[in-house]
Amino acid sequence: MLKVENITKYYGNFLAVDHLSFEVKPGEIFGLLGINGAGKTTTFRMIMGLLDANEGTVTLDGKKIDYDVTDQIGFLTEERSLLVKMTVKEQCLYYGILKGMKEKDILERMDVLLAKFGISEYREKKIKELSKGNQQKIQFITAIINQPKLLILDEPFSGLDPFNVELFKQEIIEMAQKGSMIIFSSHRMEHVELFCKKLVILLKGKPVIEGYLSDIKEQYRKKNIFIKGDVSKEELEKIKGVIMVEEHADELEVKIEDNDVVPRVFNQIKKKENITKFVVEEPSLNEIFIAKVGESFEE
Amino acid sequence: MRNKLKYLTFVSLKRKIKTKWFVIANVLLAIGIIGVINIDSIITFFGGDFDKQIKVYVIDDTHETFELLKEQIDTNSITYSEEEQSAYEVILSDQSSDQALNIVEEDKDAYVFVIKSNPETILDVTLVSDGYIDSIDFQLLSTAVNNTKTMLAIQKSNLSQEELNQLYTSVEIKRMYLDETKKSEDENMDMIMTTVFPIIILPFFMLTLFLVQMIGAEVNDEKTTRGMEIIISNVSPKVHFFSKVISGNLFVISQGILLIIYALIGLLIHHIMGGVGVNGILSGEIHEIVTNMMGTEFLSKLLYIIPLAAILMLSTFLSYSLLAGILASMTTNTEDFQQLQTPIMVISLVGYYLAMMAGVFNGALFIRILSYVPFISAILAPSLLVLGQISVLDVLFSICITVITNILLIKYGLKIYKVGILNYSSKDLWKKMIKAIKNK
Repeated sequence: MLKVENITKYYGNFLAVDHLSFEVKPGEIFGLLGINGAGKTTTFRMIMGLLDANEGTVTLDGKKIDYDVTDQIGFLTEERSLLVKMTVKEQCLYYGILKGMKEKDILERMDVLLAKFGISEYREKKIKELSKGNQQKIQFITAIINQPKLLILDEPFSGLDPFNVELFKQEIIEMAQKGSMIIFSSHRMEHVELFCKKLVILLKGKPVIEGYLSDIKEQYRKKNIFIKGDVSKEELEKIKGVIMVEEHADELEVKIEDNDVVPRVFNQIKKKENITKFVVEEPSLNEIFIAKVGESFEE
Repeated sequence: MRNKLKYLTFVSLKRKIKTKWFVIANVLLAIGIIGVINIDSIITFFGGDFDKQIKVYVIDDTHETFELLKEQIDTNSITYSEEEQSAYEVILSDQSSDQALNIVEEDKDAYVFVIKSNPETILDVTLVSDGYIDSIDFQLLSTAVNNTKTMLAIQKSNLSQEELNQLYTSVEIKRMYLDETKKSEDENMDMIMTTVFPIIILPFFMLTLFLVQMIGAEVNDEKTTRGMEIIISNVSPKVHFFSKVISGNLFVISQGILLIIYALIGLLIHHIMGGVGVNGILSGEIHEIVTNMMGTEFLSKLLYIIPLAAILMLSTFLSYSLLAGILASMTTNTEDFQQLQTPIMVISLVGYYLAMMAGVFNGALFIRILSYVPFISAILAPSLLVLGQISVLDVLFSICITVITNILLIKYGLKIYKVGILNYSSKDLWKKMIKAIKNK
C-alpha cells in the first residue's frame, strides 16, 4: 500500500504542498487533481523521491521510497520524457535496465506491449520520427514495462485520439485488476470519473476535497434535473431551491440546491403535457471541481 | 547501483561513438593527419619533386669564382639538409651576362648567378630568377656567395694551407651559467615552443572542447526532454553525474588514442612511400635543434615530463568534465548552455596561448603562478617545465591543486547538480545554487 502522510513542501517561502495525506491500496486507481500549480507534480516528485519533503513521509508497503523501491514504480510524466534520438527499442532497454530489469525480459515485454498498442513496426525507429500520439504510447510503454507495483500517470491521455484513449484505459484497468496501485492525474474530469474510486482535489497545495468519489458526490448536495418537454425556463427559475436553468439543444438542465427541491420541480412539471424526460442526476466531477476550485480553473 | 553506473556509462559512450558525426569527424581527422605527415608524397604525386635538384647557372665573368662557389653551395646544402646529395646542381654557363634572362626563360625553375669583378667589393653578383625565391634558398645561396668572396680574398693573401684550415674551422662557443640547473640545450627551446609544441598541445585543447561540449550537451538534452526525471527516479544524481564524467573522459582518451594511431599510420605510410623523411617535414633549423636535443639530456627529461604532463592533463580533463556537467545541470535550455560554454573555452584558450608564448615570459613570477592555476596548468606547466622555467616540484604542486579542485568540484558540484537537474526555471538560479551548496 502507498501511504502518503502529512507531506509538506516549501520552495523558499512558497508553500507548494500543505500537509497532504492519502492512501492507495493494491488494485485502486487514485485521482490526484488540481489546477496548474496546485502541487500535483511536486507531490509526484516527492513520491518518486526526486524531492525531499519538508515534513511528512511517503512509504510503499511500509518502506520509505528509495532507489531499491523505485524499481517497482512506473512514472509517466506530463511532458515527454523520452530521449528522442534513441530508437524505440533502445529507449525501452534504457529505462528498463535502469529499473533493474534483464535485457531479455525487457524485449519480451516490449514486443507484447508494442503489439498491444499496434506499433510493432516502430520498434527500430527513432522516437523523434514518431507522431505525438505514438510518442505518448512509447512513454506509456516505458512506464509500465516493469509491470510496476505503483504506477504514477500524469496526464496520460495527452495527444491521444479517442481510439487510443480507449486502449490506454483498458491497459490501466487491467493493471489495476492485477493489483497495481495507480495514481492518476488529469484535467479531463470525465477520465478521472471513469477510473478513480478515490481522489483528492488540491488547491494551492492543500486538499479541498478528498475521499471516495461516491461519498464526494453524495456530500456535494447539489443535483441536476434534465427535462425535455413543453416547459419554459422562466417558470422553472421561479421555483424555490432552483439555482439556475441552462438551455441545451432540446432539453433544460435545472441545477438545484439539494434533493428536497426535486419534488417541488416534479410537482410543477407533472401539470404539463408532452413531458418526455425527467431525470435527476448526480453532479459531474467537473462541476464539483469547478465549484470547489472556483474561477481560477477556467482561467 | 554499480551495475547501473556501468550501464549508464556504456550507453552514454555508445551514444557519442555511434553517431555519424563521430565517424565523419574521425574520417576527416585521419585524412588530415595522415595527409599532413605525407604532404611531401602528396606534392610529389601531383607533379612536385623534392629530389629534383634546382639548377643554378653561373655566368662567371671573373673566370676564378665558379669552382669555389660550387663547392660552397654544395657543402652548405648538404650540411643544412643532412641529405647525401646537394639540393642544387651548379652549372657553369658559357652564355654572356646579358643572356641571363634567356636562361631563366627557358628553365623557369632555374636561378642564374651573374658574377663580375669589382675592384672595391671584390665581387659584383646578380641573382636572376623567374619570380620570388624561397627564403631558405636565398639565405643558403647568399651565405655561399659571401664565403666564396672571403675565400677569394684569403687566397690572394698567400696564406698557408694550415692557416687556411684553421681559419675555416668554426669557433665553438662554450656556455657557462651561474644557475647550475640551466642547460645549453634549453636555450634552443624557445624555437621548439613557438613551432613544435603548439602542434603537440593542440590535440589537448581540441579534446577539452570536445569534452565540455559533449558532457554539457548530453546533460542538457536529458534535462530539456524531461528524460532526466525518469532517470533520476531510478538512479541517484551522483551515479548519473559520474556516468557522464566517466564516459566523457573515456571518450576523449579514446579519441586521443585514435589521433595517435592516425599519426602512426601516417608515419608508417610515409616510411613505406619513402618520403623525404620526418626531418624533411620540419624546417631545417628546427630539425637541427630537435636532432641535437635527442642526443642530449632532453631525452631523459622526457621520461618524467611525459608522465607528469599525462597526469596533469588527465586530472584537468576531469576538472573540465566536472565543471561542464555542473554548469549544464543549471541551464534550462540549449541556448543557455551554449552561452555557458564560452567562458570555459576562453579559459582553455588562455592556457593554450600562454603555453605557446611561454618562452617570452622568461620565467616571470606571474607566469609561474599561472602554471598552478587549475584548467590552464595542464598545458602551461609542462611547457614551462620543458623550457626549464619551472621545476618538477612546481608541476607536482600544479597536480595537487588540480586534484584538490576536482575534490571540491565533486563535493560542492554534486549538491548543485542534484538541485540543478530538476530545476526548470532560471528565476533566482544563483540563489538556488548557493542554497544547494549550503545544504548539508
